[in-house]
Amino acid sequence: MSILSTDRSLGSWSARSIVSTMFPLLIVLSVIVLAAGITLDRAEALLEEYRVLAIMVPTMVGLGGNLGAILSSRLSSRLHLGVATFDVRDTGLWANIAAILALAVTVFTVLAIGSYLLGLALGVGVALPTLLFIALVSGISIAVIAIVCSFGATYASYRLGVDPDDLTIPIVTNVVDVFGMLIFVGVSWVVLGF
Amino acid sequence: MSAREEFVSIYRETLPVLLIALGGGLVSGVILENLLESVERFPGLLVMVPVFLATRGNVYGALGGRLASGLHQGLIEPRFSWDERLVNAVVASFVNGIGISVVIAVLTRLALAVLGWESAALWEFLAIMLISGVLTSTVLIFGLLLVLFGGYKAGYDPDNLVGPIVTTLGDIFGMLFLVFAVTLVGVIP
Repeated sequence: MSILSTDRSLGSWSARSIVSTMFPLLIVLSVIVLAAGITLDRAEALLEEYRVLAIMVPTMVGLGGNLGAILSSRLSSRLHLGVATFDVRDTGLWANIAAILALAVTVFTVLAIGSYLLGLALGVGVALPTLLFIALVSGISIAVIAIVCSFGATYASYRLGVDPDDLTIPIVTNVVDVFGMLIFVGVSWVVLGF
Repeated sequence: MSAREEFVSIYRETLPVLLIALGGGLVSGVILENLLESVERFPGLLVMVPVFLATRGNVYGALGGRLASGLHQGLIEPRFSWDERLVNAVVASFVNGIGISVVIAVLTRLALAVLGWESAALWEFLAIMLISGVLTSTVLIFGLLLVLFGGYKAGYDPDNLVGPIVTTLGDIFGMLFLVFAVTLVGVIP
């Protein structure tokens, strides 16, 4: 959170300044995420044969982004509080990583079970062990990417002297959007022998 | 706090939020599954879906973050009023949301042309993005204001509410209005 005086912050609340700061960034991010869309289009045949996978796509990517966003905002808070050291001996950092991985295992298991049940209800089911395998392998890979990316973005904004609050979450969620889609489609492709 | 306690507290505090996002994600997944049928009518439509959903998160995540900071700093009041800052922030996110929807339609059409893939007409992409963009923006802006103000008055930290609200509302309503727009444009000969 910025600590600005009241009259200066009124300037940063003008519609024109918000749009002119954000719009160029939005365009750059859109170009990046377009790559994820192209992957989704290539996977159309796979998704049409195994329609339960289409149900999993938004959640897979969304959860990966959420995990990255949680870790990023925790890291930037640590940085603001002056307790982040980027030291491998810092057990607090390892506790954060372990918690994100544990959350990933939990939510991607729930995702597999939830999609399995939805698939059954809609008559587009795939066997539960297969869905569990796809969800966990791609989910944990996405979580690892989110963790690496959160650390990289937080460290980079720290070195560049930019407030990590403004920078890390959009970067992490967009990287996860692209790689999450690639990994999920890739893993499904291999597992289902498509 | 020991490493073990930190692990447990992160896990406990964030699991409910993630499960809410998961529920919302599954709902939008079911809608995406239905959208697959429209892909033959509008080739290249699937390319736009992730970009469209991601920009909802970017634009309204930024609005939510700004409103949360504004509430914390006492710059805005937690109620619907003709406050200069509030109106500016809302107008800016509306301009960003609609503007980027138009950009997405053009970029997608361009990418498909460069790749040499089959594609629907530019006006069809533009119409789909404009209709779904305007509707999603309206719901997200009012949804954000309603939940943030309500949550703030009930004693919740608005910073913790923004993420799940934006991902859940954005995914569900983004997909719903996308299907609505596709159906509407599909009826136009």
